[in-house]
Amino acid sequence: MTKKNILKQAAAYPHIVWAIIFIIAPLLFVAYYAFTDKEGVFTLANLGQLAQATYLEVFLRSVCFAFLATVICFVIAYPVAYFISRTSPSAQKILVMLVMLPQWLNFLIRTYSWMAILEDTGIINIILGVLGLNIHMINTPGAVILGMVYNFLPYMIIPIHSAMTKIDPRVLEAASDLGCSPLRVVTKVVFPLSLSGVISGITMVFVPSISTFYISQKLGGGNFDLIGDSIERQFQTQYDYNMGAAMSFVLMLLIIASMAVMNKYSDDEGGMLV
Amino acid sequence: MTKKKFNWRTLCIILTFIFLYMPIGVLIFFSFNESDSTAVFSGFSLRWYKELFTDTATLNALKNTLILAVLSSIISTIIGTAAAYGISKMKNKYLKNATMSATQIPMINPEIVTGISMMLLFVFVANVLKISSFNGFWTVLIAHITFNLPYVILLVLPKFKEMDKSLPEAALDLGCTPFQSFFKVELPAIMPGIVAGFIMAFTLSIDDFVISYFTTGSGFETLPIRIYSMTKKRVTPDMYALSTLIFVTILVLLLISNFTSGKNKIELSKKAKKVMKIIGGSVFGMIGITTIVVLCISATTEVKTVNVYNWGEYISDGGYDTIDVNREFEEWAENYYKEKGKKVKVQVNYTTYASNEDLYSKIANGAGGYDIIVPSDYMLEKMQKEGLLQPLDLEKIPNCKFINSQFDGMFLYDNTYKNDSDKIVVEKDNKKTYGIAYTYGIIGIIYNSSQITEEQAPKAYERIESGEAGWELLFGEPIPDKDGKYQYDKDGKMIVDTTYLEELKGQILQFNNPRDAFGAAMYYLDIDVNNPTEDDWKAVYGLLATQKDYVQGYVMDEIYNKMEKGEAWIAAYYAGDCLSMMSESADDVELGFYYPKNKDGKPQTNVFADAMCIPASANQDNLELAHMYINFMLEPEIAYANAEYIYYGCPYDYTNIFDYLVFDENNELVLDENGLPVFDMELYEKNLAYVEVYRENLGEDYDIIYNADFENDLLNPNKLRDMFDKFAYKDLTNSYMEGTDVSNLDMLNESWEQLKVASTSMVGIYVTCLVIALAIVAYIVYVQIKKRKQRRLYWANTPTPKAKPKDEPSPDLSATAVIAIEKAKKRDKDSQK
Amino acid sequence: MNEKKIIEPKGETVATGEENVETKKIVQLKNVAKSFDGEIILDHINLDVYEKEFITLLGPSGCGKTTTLRIIAGFVTPDTGDVLFEDERINDLPPHKRHVNTVFQKYALFPHLNVYENIAFALRLKKVSEEEIYERVEEMLAMVNLRGFEKKDVNLLSGGQQQRVAIARALINKPKVLLLDEPLGALDLKLRKDMQNELKNIQRKTGITFVYVTHDQEEALSMSDTVVVMADGKIQQIGSPTDIYNEPENAFVADFIGESNIIDGVMLDDYKVRFSGHEFVCLDKGFDKNESVDVVVRPEDVDVVPLDKGMLTGIVTSVTFKGVHYEIIVSIKDFKWMIQSTDYVEVGQEIGVYVEPDAIHIMKKSEYSNMFGDYSSFSDELEHLSDANEEEE
Repeated sequence: MTKKNILKQAAAYPHIVWAIIFIIAPLLFVAYYAFTDKEGVFTLANLGQLAQATYLEVFLRSVCFAFLATVICFVIAYPVAYFISRTSPSAQKILVMLVMLPQWLNFLIRTYSWMAILEDTGIINIILGVLGLNIHMINTPGAVILGMVYNFLPYMIIPIHSAMTKIDPRVLEAASDLGCSPLRVVTKVVFPLSLSGVISGITMVFVPSISTFYISQKLGGGNFDLIGDSIERQFQTQYDYNMGAAMSFVLMLLIIASMAVMNKYSDDEGGMLV
Repeated sequence: MTKKKFNWRTLCIILTFIFLYMPIGVLIFFSFNESDSTAVFSGFSLRWYKELFTDTATLNALKNTLILAVLSSIISTIIGTAAAYGISKMKNKYLKNATMSATQIPMINPEIVTGISMMLLFVFVANVLKISSFNGFWTVLIAHITFNLPYVILLVLPKFKEMDKSLPEAALDLGCTPFQSFFKVELPAIMPGIVAGFIMAFTLSIDDFVISYFTTGSGFETLPIRIYSMTKKRVTPDMYALSTLIFVTILVLLLISNFTSGKNKIELSKKAKKVMKIIGGSVFGMIGITTIVVLCISATTEVKTVNVYNWGEYISDGGYDTIDVNREFEEWAENYYKEKGKKVKVQVNYTTYASNEDLYSKIANGAGGYDIIVPSDYMLEKMQKEGLLQPLDLEKIPNCKFINSQFDGMFLYDNTYKNDSDKIVVEKDNKKTYGIAYTYGIIGIIYNSSQITEEQAPKAYERIESGEAGWELLFGEPIPDKDGKYQYDKDGKMIVDTTYLEELKGQILQFNNPRDAFGAAMYYLDIDVNNPTEDDWKAVYGLLATQKDYVQGYVMDEIYNKMEKGEAWIAAYYAGDCLSMMSESADDVELGFYYPKNKDGKPQTNVFADAMCIPASANQDNLELAHMYINFMLEPEIAYANAEYIYYGCPYDYTNIFDYLVFDENNELVLDENGLPVFDMELYEKNLAYVEVYRENLGEDYDIIYNADFENDLLNPNKLRDMFDKFAYKDLTNSYMEGTDVSNLDMLNESWEQLKVASTSMVGIYVTCLVIALAIVAYIVYVQIKKRKQRRLYWANTPTPKAKPKDEPSPDLSATAVIAIEKAKKRDKDSQK
Repeated sequence: MNEKKIIEPKGETVATGEENVETKKIVQLKNVAKSFDGEIILDHINLDVYEKEFITLLGPSGCGKTTTLRIIAGFVTPDTGDVLFEDERINDLPPHKRHVNTVFQKYALFPHLNVYENIAFALRLKKVSEEEIYERVEEMLAMVNLRGFEKKDVNLLSGGQQQRVAIARALINKPKVLLLDEPLGALDLKLRKDMQNELKNIQRKTGITFVYVTHDQEEALSMSDTVVVMADGKIQQIGSPTDIYNEPENAFVADFIGESNIIDGVMLDDYKVRFSGHEFVCLDKGFDKNESVDVVVRPEDVDVVPLDKGMLTGIVTSVTFKGVHYEIIVSIKDFKWMIQSTDYVEVGQEIGVYVEPDAIHIMKKSEYSNMFGDYSSFSDELEHLSDANEEEE
């Protein structure tokens, strides 16, 4: 029996070997490069450089942008997910499909076409021009955040929506039966019960937002460097692998830390938030 | 419900969908644009759909993407399903947890970290194995499998857990062997998970950009990478057309699967299976047929491929009714072999990069398999020094005689450096050519004359009109102190007269690469770009830091759209691109060009040349073809087609009669009966005719930059060499500040880093973040306190119940209950009073 | 439309237990109709619910009983007709503003709250002071016998316990009417019986009007003051359990409530009916002469007698032992009767059958005539299966 079982376990070995070589080892390389200089000698200089005010600001900026993008995504996605979950099952299927559909097109090209919309001579300003207005939007922090919201919004809607569809509709009826107004049904029952979806939505928006490098270049005009931009530059134009690895290393720690905080909330399933 | 509510919901959903689909709408709209602009709509046409099917590079990228997606999703589905099976059978908790944690890393980690971590691994392995190159396909495939695996496992694993444990036992009981039991019973039971995993993997693989971007090697370009290099240069509408086609295909597929399936869930899954079978079948079928066709062709004919890695939009590609140079070459080369009695199929695998640095990182990271690359002068020098290039065999490039004599010896190097464990071994007396000039140009300033007008920017307008404008429009004029020294504020910003800057604020575009951005500032301040001092670095940093507040953005080829649409008013850029922009600007945008000079009329700009080279890592078997390709580029028809297409200077001169002397096999001059040398007059006249047409086609603008004798003879084709000697911006590797061991390259990179990450005023954003974060924290604290309060009464004095109690029928209403109810009634009465 | 079928329950039938108070209508449905996707769910029904009564809506699945309940709760708005609560029209009043509370089929407890918080939910919304909440929750817990379970996660409770939490949660608001939608449907038989008693007791003690929905006729008969039998979106009969059982209005009711032999007959005269080729004395009158009618004879009211003493004779086709009695199917004039008897008979044996006059109930012909009451295809198994297929509405 045990022999057989070991044999069965062996099915996982190719994956385990793969994971060690291509998941674990590369991360060790990141750590290795982060703590060595070009000659391969141990040093803390790379990390020390990151502690400088300018780099701290890059991190702060990235965190702030990603945070705002996440908040905005949540504010938009939550009601949308809720409204979608209140339609008929067949309508839900179509709406969810429509939410995901844009993701099938490459995000680079979708972001690129946002440029045409946001520019001073872009579509929005042409429309506003009729009213005699002209708002400068491209190359502002707002445009970068908008790009993040646009690209990652579906990743907020889908998990929240799927958490909502798992709620027994009778529980909602019970709430309104016991005296909850429609708004209170949402705050007292729907929200706590969809919290797991919210948490995974937040993760799925925050992580890519904080590490993006394309959106900030295109919609921010290179004015607002984020961590992703710095890392990309270190690897692609400055060839300072050690510095780039150090940044990646810190970014990873940052994300692990924020995930840990998030998990603390999600562990007691709304225990903290409700 | 009530009507009002219904509308509210619908509105909310509709607005979100407008938001989600707006860019896609724009993209579809412009795919039908007549002109090549993705910004100005000039009329309906299907031109780009036609052109899409002739854009071999894009189609090739699409093909690569599909092959990669199919292979990586199949492999990851197989490994992942096996892994899920193994994990579900694991009894050892630690092993199981460790495996699961490792599996989830790529899902949690930001893509960019996964990408660079794998890149570091590949670089390391390549170094250890002393392999100069990794095939890009394999590295990307490995990377894709790696990030697909977790999704497959996480989708399949639950199916194993859900599966009835007695199912395989029942199968064994009924006489299956364990093997049969797995394939006949367990596999079908987990099939939905496998299918979902496969689809997920396929989707992720098709869409991935970041990880492919960091892990791809030579010659392997996926669609997202191609789009990325295009968005750096310019996205042509055929990419929009492709996206539209992809979008419509997916939409139709989804709609079909949605509407044919009906309401019955079982029916749906059956239909889905059917659809999957058909899709899967056709995909495999297609792969199979392609393989067979390819095999058949390769069995009968030899295929030779030349891998060309060039700048984006840097060759005449058949668009705009021009010559498709690569196709011409294939045809020409095939004919050439035919005449020799060989049946050879020639293919040009043409991929593009967006900057010298991109090119360098590819080649230096061991991406082999490129046969021809086109670095700029300084990069050529750097690569040559590092032993990344191989000398050209000029015997095989007879057309090199047509190179403008000004370029003679330009890419000849006295020494060959080999980067051998930090020791530079110098091989003397070994002059070799490493590049054949492809184009040349300068950096100039392009401005929008319909915006920089007397009304909107009087001072700048006046300056440009005077014909004496230089860099000051972009940088302002430094205000020196009494001693003539530059002044700086506390942040190191240089104090300048901002008259022009104020007028042009937010309308200036700056280079998004350190070399050109700092180079521009150095030329402006009359600093020797190849030998700056510490003070010089301080000055140029200060200048750029001051400029940052006035700059709209740091861009590279995004400048095309911005200038053509009038999004920005003024920018410094490469002259050839400036000419392209001028010829393609929107109807209401008038663009002008000038090259920067100082008050004395001395040019203050960079002159550069790009050259065709063969990397050291090029495939030896392709050398002949590579040389043929270079030679072909020097054919007047081809060279002019390229020059007309890309608007850069053509470094070839076909008018020198002495280039047409005829030699015999022994390389001796062929003499006529009078003892005079023989000229190939036929060719001469033919080429002169090309020159004629070329001059006519280009018109005035081109002349202004490349041919005219203007002050100081800037870029006079006959004085080019002089210009290069004076103004070329050399490679900064191994260049150190005088008297120090500080590398100029490090200075450049550090200054750039400082400039880019330097604070921009975003206090508003930080404050907003802080406020929201505080609000969230306050809310959580409030909820916690409230909860404590609510629990206060019962939490402490209630026993924590033990394990799940059994359903025990309760006795009839207990005495306590009756008392409780009596009490309640009494209190009700009290409250009524 | 069906006006004639509605029998206004008389005041006396509304038993309130000890007290003898004047009964008042608390909920009224007037001519209420509802259809979904063109399918008629409720066909213009009229129903009055009296204060402090235990009224049960009984019918097979799809008969519209749950929809009726949801209309009262406010989850469904009727297409036509009025819903009155204490004589006020509440058609447009949303559920959270109605003074009714519901115990849901699968309890619908809030999974994110513990037992205490679930019960306290309604009070928390009303901003009642913590002390009062504590007191009232404890009362409720005492009433449903769940003291000590305050902190317990509701997801870890057994079905019966969840049920009690649901009842406590609904009752803490002191609703005027408590709606119960098949609350015992998910419990096993033994527990179900106990909970029936408990519910009845709670109703009696609290004096709250219970509107109870079930498809289990036994449950309906044993708990209710008034039973409303529904089928096909219409009310078939309203009456006390004994009325419903003894004097079914039509073949459907007769068949649905208990076992019945429903035979075609002709009313010869008052107190005289002819069926199965034999003339019987009965206690019914007021029919036209020679009017064809449905005759109901309950299996337990048929006596097996020796051949010569029988009013009818027939051949036994099957005998099943049921513990207390035998269930005998007898073929009499090609009609299969069911007889419950303590005497054993052999299959194939010819027996005599005797029916007392008070065992015969005469009904007017209705759309349900000839659809029920013949045991020719009777099988225990089938009956069982059709019960299991009972679907949620």
